[in-house]
Amino acid sequence: MKRSLFLRPALSAALLLAGSLPLTAAPQGTKGVEEFDPLAFPGKVVDDVIVPVPSEVFSVLDKLGEPNWQAELRKQAIPSTSDRTKLALLFGYTVAEGFVAVQAQDKEAVKDIGHDVISLSKSLALSKSVLPHAQAILDAADKGNWSAIRKEFDQTQKTVRDTMEQMKDMDLSQCVSLGGWLRGTASVTSVVKKSFSADRAELLNQPMLVEHFVNSISKMPGSTRDHDVVKSIQKGLASVLQQMDGAVDGFSKDAVTSIGKTCDSLLTEILAKK
Amino acid sequence: MSPPPEGTLLMKRPWSRLQALAAACVLVLGATCVYATVDESHDYAMEAATPFVEQGFIVREDYWNGEVKSGQKLQITHQLFKGNEYAFWLGTSQEGVTLDMKVYDEKNQPVQINAKADKFFMSVRVNPPKTGTYKIVFELKSKTAAGVLWALAYGYR
Repeated sequence: MKRSLFLRPALSAALLLAGSLPLTAAPQGTKGVEEFDPLAFPGKVVDDVIVPVPSEVFSVLDKLGEPNWQAELRKQAIPSTSDRTKLALLFGYTVAEGFVAVQAQDKEAVKDIGHDVISLSKSLALSKSVLPHAQAILDAADKGNWSAIRKEFDQTQKTVRDTMEQMKDMDLSQCVSLGGWLRGTASVTSVVKKSFSADRAELLNQPMLVEHFVNSISKMPGSTRDHDVVKSIQKGLASVLQQMDGAVDGFSKDAVTSIGKTCDSLLTEILAKK
Repeated sequence: MSPPPEGTLLMKRPWSRLQALAAACVLVLGATCVYATVDESHDYAMEAATPFVEQGFIVREDYWNGEVKSGQKLQITHQLFKGNEYAFWLGTSQEGVTLDMKVYDEKNQPVQINAKADKFFMSVRVNPPKTGTYKIVFELKSKTAAGVLWALAYGYR
């Protein structure tokens, strides 16, 4: 799994603009040579990163085997708090848990998570925009309409993040993504560990996303950046990134275990009552 | 300074209010038009997605959008997972725009297949050879406008 310098978006952009990398390429499925000339790229790099939802990775794991998603459900109580940073992290966590419940096709778990979504949105003062989605999740759970539930969880997260960004709470919006990514990645490592293969482990090759989160945290206002849990996440992500950068020839089972442990320990902090 | 003639103030204030109201209406309508156009670009991207949804693609709710100088290339970095098939849908609400989009892997090899273009949108498919970071490079050239509104969405199956 050798990675080129182009993994790092900022560096990538700089190199592209400076035209310092040879980029002659053959298009897939043809014998001709297609030029991607960096000198002819007076382009702009769009900084916005869309973080994949957990089900994007889960769908690959489903194709590679039949994971026991029921065993991946945590069914953990969401602590009540007025700490908005933690609430945002918990919101992301809960939506990701919802994606696990969809994979497990567990109606009751989806409903419980739907109620957690409502409760968290009330604490975040976002219930007005979230309630229609949460209700749609509960209705679709009754019908066992899994694709509708998956879509609603995605919409719920987008609505919450958009509303936070409209309120200039970019840091909270990032925390939603972070909580979701940590929960999704914890599930992936758990499934991969139980049935290890190079193909499954390769799904953890996500350094661009980890770098994105690290950069996002470094740009957060001091009050959020210095939050105990956010500081732990920053430290944990550095360790995860190290594992990813070290996986030049693919991820070992130990590396998968290590990433999983880091995610689990961070999730324990997010879910702690204090 | 002599006071204004009687009635002037009375005449002026309602007129100012009318002016303010008219200005506010223009602003609101203008803003609505701008947002409608941005939304329309996404609508066209979703139109491009329709046949893919029928083939089992799951459309992500998040998408990229903005306005770009005509002919200026844009690059988006995105995480793809080997084992999924992806489709990217680029849309614009403006007429007379030529769209182009390619997807490159970490070694800058183009990996897109089945590129299809229409009047207001285009789509490409990608079967990522590896899990990792990919670059979506696209361009919108307008025959008439200096700036082009765009939206880029994606889906997977």
